[in-house]
Amino acid sequence: MPRLELVTALEGHQDRVWQAIWHPTKTILATCSGDKTVRLWAPASHSDMSNWQCINTLEGGHKRTIRSVAWSPTGHEMATASFDATTGIWEHDQRDNDWECVATLEGHENEIKSVAWSSSGQLLATCSRDKSVWIWEVETDNDFECLSVLQEHSQDVKMVAWHPHQEILASASYDDTIKIWREDDDDWYCSDTLQGHTSTVWALDFDASGDHIVSASDDQTLRIWKMYKPNNAQGIPTPSNDPTYRTVCTLSGYHGRCIYSVSWSKVNNRIASASGDNTIRVFTQVTEGDEPAWEAAATIKDAHGVHDINNVTWFPTQQHGDWLATAGDDGVARIWRLVEDD
Amino acid sequence: ITMALLNANPVVYQTSISNIRVETEKDFDDDVLDPIDSEEVYELLRSISDPEHPLTLEQLNVTQLQHISVDNDNNHVLVEFTPTIPHCSMATLIGLCIRVRLLRSLPERFKVDIKVRKGTHQSENAVNKQLNDKERVAAALENKHLLEVVNQCLATASRDAVAQ
Repeated sequence: MPRLELVTALEGHQDRVWQAIWHPTKTILATCSGDKTVRLWAPASHSDMSNWQCINTLEGGHKRTIRSVAWSPTGHEMATASFDATTGIWEHDQRDNDWECVATLEGHENEIKSVAWSSSGQLLATCSRDKSVWIWEVETDNDFECLSVLQEHSQDVKMVAWHPHQEILASASYDDTIKIWREDDDDWYCSDTLQGHTSTVWALDFDASGDHIVSASDDQTLRIWKMYKPNNAQGIPTPSNDPTYRTVCTLSGYHGRCIYSVSWSKVNNRIASASGDNTIRVFTQVTEGDEPAWEAAATIKDAHGVHDINNVTWFPTQQHGDWLATAGDDGVARIWRLVEDD
Repeated sequence: ITMALLNANPVVYQTSISNIRVETEKDFDDDVLDPIDSEEVYELLRSISDPEHPLTLEQLNVTQLQHISVDNDNNHVLVEFTPTIPHCSMATLIGLCIRVRLLRSLPERFKVDIKVRKGTHQSENAVNKQLNDKERVAAALENKHLLEVVNQCLATASRDAVAQ
């Protein structure tokens, strides 16, 4: 059985850390916090990966908690979502190695909970307590045009996540559902509503192919959803000729409180979850198909002491595909390595 | 702002002296392991002011000792409270006051669930869901106005705690 080993603890935030998000290619971690700042962390030298330091602090862009941070696919830009109802766009200035807030996107009525950059870098999605999901087009010169305001969730929208290589968006909500959004001739519409969770869906992530979604909920379960295309061999109906998602696996009994975050590794196919029960769990797929089996592969209890863990994220590339970053209510971000025992 | 009282004539309950925790020598002995119990939690909550009456949650029977459970081994506290009327729009605010009070007073190891007592509020599920959503609570506490109201309700409780 593999186990998780602590690589390093990143201390510096003055309040709870909501997210810890990896740069798309480099060994840089971005963390955002109730202290209204984003911090960037990197190893002090290439030879010593256990000694990390804060290399930048992005501040002054938001008046309230920064709930979510997202890298653009190139890593040259970042987006921040804040309880102050605005989304900040930050650009890296090579000359002085500093990050500058170059645009502020307004429109949501209250707290923004999540921001996500599409794989092409052309689209940005945000969601809010105002129950809406906004899709923004990234134009030249830091201009962002709102393409669509999607208002079909009946409650707060907790998180948005893009398909890994198509312009398909998924949103998770306090209304206990997940919605899938597609584009048809410049019009965005809800193509599927995923029902099954019995409380708030806090987080979701696609697998590497985009054909599966994993979701994490306050109902203390993880659900794995599989996409079925029209005319699928299993005979699953696909209304309006769009693919539909069905639960193919439910992981319950692993967490004793709300599951706040889930990450599906694009490198090793493993799933990691983080919970208000202070525990991180890693799951491995045992069998495939329409009834795949998953089993717990590694567990760290009290990963952030007695505190809730708000976020877990796998490193996005092969380089450190066994690394996980977590963020906790203790104001600390931690980096873990999944070690295979002999 | 003048607001019509939602429940203009609430029933006021006699507070019993037996509710008050009696301190014994053991309480001052550092060698005795002192787990948190429901009486201690009740003590933290009973003198919180109601948001619309000059009365405490104890006087209005909103909080009751027997509706608090503490599981020391599993670091869990459950507080159930009873709104004065089933359509009380102050229920979320009262719950928020209870949450903030415990957030500020209990050891960090405790996970706290706050619920409306079953069958005592018409929007029971909605109120419960909101009170136990940490993101909603965090956002609410960044609202200056709301935080002031909460602090006002807690001012009596804090005074009480200091006096002890």
